[in-house]
Amino acid sequence: MSLAVLLSTMRVQMKQSFARPMFRFCLIANPILNTILLYEMFRGSGEENFMAYVVLGAGLMGLWGCICFSSAGDINRERYSGTLALIFATPVSFPVIILGKIIGNTVMSLLTLGISLVTAVVLYRVPLTLESPLYFLLALLAAVLAFVVISSVVACLLTLSRKTELYMNCIEVPVVLLCGFVFPVSVLPEAVRVFSYALSPTYAVELLRLSVWGVNDPAVFWQKLGILLGLTALYAILSALLYRKIDRRVRVTATLEVA
Amino acid sequence: MDSIIEVQELKREYVTRHGFWKREKRVVKAVDGISFAVRRGEIFGLLGQNGAGKTTTIKMLTTLLAPTGGTCKVLGWSTFGEEKRIRARINFIFGGEMGVYRRLSARDNLRYFSNLYLIPRKEQDVRIQKILGLVELAERADDLVETYSKGMIQRLQIARGLINDPEILFMDEPTVGLDPVGARMLRDIIRRLKEDGKTVLLTTHNLAEVEELCDRLVVINKGKLIASGTPAEIKADSETLEDAYVKLIEGVSA
Repeated sequence: MSLAVLLSTMRVQMKQSFARPMFRFCLIANPILNTILLYEMFRGSGEENFMAYVVLGAGLMGLWGCICFSSAGDINRERYSGTLALIFATPVSFPVIILGKIIGNTVMSLLTLGISLVTAVVLYRVPLTLESPLYFLLALLAAVLAFVVISSVVACLLTLSRKTELYMNCIEVPVVLLCGFVFPVSVLPEAVRVFSYALSPTYAVELLRLSVWGVNDPAVFWQKLGILLGLTALYAILSALLYRKIDRRVRVTATLEVA
Repeated sequence: MDSIIEVQELKREYVTRHGFWKREKRVVKAVDGISFAVRRGEIFGLLGQNGAGKTTTIKMLTTLLAPTGGTCKVLGWSTFGEEKRIRARINFIFGGEMGVYRRLSARDNLRYFSNLYLIPRKEQDVRIQKILGLVELAERADDLVETYSKGMIQRLQIARGLINDPEILFMDEPTVGLDPVGARMLRDIIRRLKEDGKTVLLTTHNLAEVEELCDRLVVINKGKLIASGTPAEIKADSETLEDAYVKLIEGVSA
């Protein structure tokens, strides 16, 4: 039954999200604009494979933007439309509903990677190579899992507060910078890198980039994948614990509704 | 007759903090020690001025809000801590245009809530069609809710509230903004629910509605219970229920 709830929530979420102009902008226009911006920035950088930073960077920025403004913003939209309380009070476990929403959004948001790729090919006809497609596929699956779980932690925390819009704006760009979406994390100061490597998307981005350049040493790939999956599992446990707490907390603090 | 809802010395406080540098804590007592019981199959009214604590009480009864003190039991289970035993067997309707997904059709809204109430797939289509007919939305069932009038959205809310065939239906000012035809339709639905043995707890400012529908009622003011009984008992020697209600409110405010 949980699977049926998960699937129907994904379907409803995709329909609802795509109906919103802002989501369509994040999903379609954002990756196009980001690709143009990043191409102009990387044109004279000496990097020859634009796939690694321009296409992946723009696609991931778009993906994260969609996740922030949808998975996180949805909590507030549901709160203001009066449906958050309704779905919360159904017999289905609330985390299953939130998970369905997040998976629906994340799957749909993967389109940003395709749009970035098409933009780069059509507008610039630049060399785009993917040296290790199988590793890339594996890295992409792990990245989706990581994004779903991190979104779940974020959505969970945002259920507690009514200042969701403020927080989701606050997390968008820092994650892009800290996790090295558009430049290697190695350029960041050492003290900042501590935060980068505590965030699972950092490893997801490194794995994707590694498979774009070509996995010459599989041991490095598997090691990074192991860390990514380990961190994701840790976030999942944290998320499960938070949901257990929050289920009671929102009813004590009365944050399920606006008034 | 057994009590299906039991409320004893129920309390709910809201804590707010004001100020930037010097945070000042304010405690508002929304519900302040009320007690009442509702019997199975009854239509029970919760009356009071705006801000009296009616909605807060309903939210505690529907497992959405934790009580600060007292007992709050529905179907014999505590609404905070044992809510999983209750949720599949109740539903609630809040008045106004909230509580529906506007970018979905009415049918999609009902199908989604059917899934959330774990109604078997085989039963869903039949039940949805029946409820859509009941609230007279069958013809527009596949149109997006954002194209609906206010009254149609409220009727969809009613349909959503009936989707799990609840034993108890909580209604918070369900006729607010409904046109006379829509309000009558709702009253007919409430009567039909009673005939089917369902229990309805409703809040409303429409005292004629209370007189017409409610078996018993309580009046609360500033979080405290000030009267309880049948409409006839509350009315006593006043000409109308409205006169009696105004006297009660003025009496405690004086």
